[in-house]
Amino acid sequence: MLQLKNISVAYGEFRALNNIDLHVDQGELVVLLGANGAGKSTIFKAISGLVKPVEGSIQFNSEELAGKKPSYIVERGLVQCPEGRKLFPGMSVRKNLLLGAYVHRRDKEGMQRSLKEVYELFPILEQKADDAAGSLSGGQQQMVAIGRALMSRPKMLLLDEPSLGLAPLVVKQMFEVIQKINEQGTSVLLAEQNAFAALKVADRAYVIESGRIVMQGDRETLMNDERVRKAYIGG
Amino acid sequence: MSVFIQQFLNGMVLGSIYGLVALGLTLVYGILHVPNFAHGAFYMVGAYVSFTLMNAMGVNYWVAMAGAAAVVAVLSVLSERLVFNPLRHAPPIHDKIAAIGILLFLEAGVQAIYGADFHRMPTPYNGAVSFGGIFMQEQRLLIIIGALSLMALLHLFLKRTMVGSTIIAMAQDREGAFLVGIDSNKVAMMTFAIAGALAAVAATLYAPINLVSPAMGHLVIMKAFVIIIVGGMGSIPGAIIGGMIIGFAEALGAFYISTDYKDIIAFALLVVILSIRPEGLFTKGTR
Repeated sequence: MLQLKNISVAYGEFRALNNIDLHVDQGELVVLLGANGAGKSTIFKAISGLVKPVEGSIQFNSEELAGKKPSYIVERGLVQCPEGRKLFPGMSVRKNLLLGAYVHRRDKEGMQRSLKEVYELFPILEQKADDAAGSLSGGQQQMVAIGRALMSRPKMLLLDEPSLGLAPLVVKQMFEVIQKINEQGTSVLLAEQNAFAALKVADRAYVIESGRIVMQGDRETLMNDERVRKAYIGG
Repeated sequence: MSVFIQQFLNGMVLGSIYGLVALGLTLVYGILHVPNFAHGAFYMVGAYVSFTLMNAMGVNYWVAMAGAAAVVAVLSVLSERLVFNPLRHAPPIHDKIAAIGILLFLEAGVQAIYGADFHRMPTPYNGAVSFGGIFMQEQRLLIIIGALSLMALLHLFLKRTMVGSTIIAMAQDREGAFLVGIDSNKVAMMTFAIAGALAAVAATLYAPINLVSPAMGHLVIMKAFVIIIVGGMGSIPGAIIGGMIIGFAEALGAFYISTDYKDIIAFALLVVILSIRPEGLFTKGTR
């Protein structure tokens, strides 16, 4: 479904990604493990068209996306929920969610349906619908961010560190929700530092270090791998 | 008391014009993240387009206003496409220099065509209305009503429509806006068009009680800058209320202190307000 081939990204002289190959199949939940600065967010930015790769190809449902505009990529159903959430802090929660459906703006009924679905997934957001998104707690803001991404009815969701800065209990809920979204048919590519929690819900995973993929495999392989345990799980 | 109300209304006239100009400036600030110094020149060009349409072609005041709004909107969009968009990855100082370049270019261009002389713009509303002992020129009343209705319309557009919301979304979080599928080029062009049209309408409203000249934009844009600094950069209510504050201060200051100082009052107020609230009146938190 999503296939990155030989993707390299450079920020000036600095090469942030080196020849990344990865793929996500229909219905899969794939995890991208890596420390801060390993290049996870850069992969996501390249997929969403926020940075242009210097070489390589990004195919989504057999269509080449490298070099396309972010708005075009969202319209294709490849949607990112970014690190740091990137909400519209001064707008209400409802407005944030509705803007998530911007690519479907002519389909008012569909928008209301999606909104209802998001409220069912995160009931607290319905209570806070009129509050400014910036006034919510971190966990609730993350819910708005995921909800906003879901409003565009993605075929594949890119989630960049949704657990960052959240309390352990909230992290647990967040992973349950991600699993639920995946079970309902949306493919998910999830970037995480929290390897243990992420691997538990993953089908497959890639490990990325200093802009290169250093390891890949299914859940069991990586869970039991000595290096992964040492580096990311702690034990 | 009636003298005070008279001055109050004068302040409202000034505040309405300043507010319209500052609104465009603050909207564009949300896109460019630098103040667009060329905005005052758009205001000036708007007055000249209306002036030409009415004097040389004899069209009706309202048609001239619409024509000026359209011409300046196109001019403003062109400046975005040809100047600011190619500079989007450059350091902010390049935008500022380019904006001053556009300002000088437009002023020199207008001066080359029309000369540096002052012109009077005609208006069909030369009468005066009176209510309860207060006299007001029709044109001034028109300024207040016109500006306030435009502001209300703009507010509805920005708050109630999806397309309008994209302007605010982009100002609040650029990357977030991209990731919901908002096309930055379309939003930037739309914002520049609206800002240009507002400036042209403001100029066409105000010019009949003032004069048309190549330098007419200077003081207005300086005050619009004061307004968006006072109101908080990028804040829409800040631009409207800030406009009114400066307008009232100027009108009342001119009457109760001295007309010689009326242009200084805006800047004195800037110093006072910034020393009390350095972040501006309507800025919520840090950006």
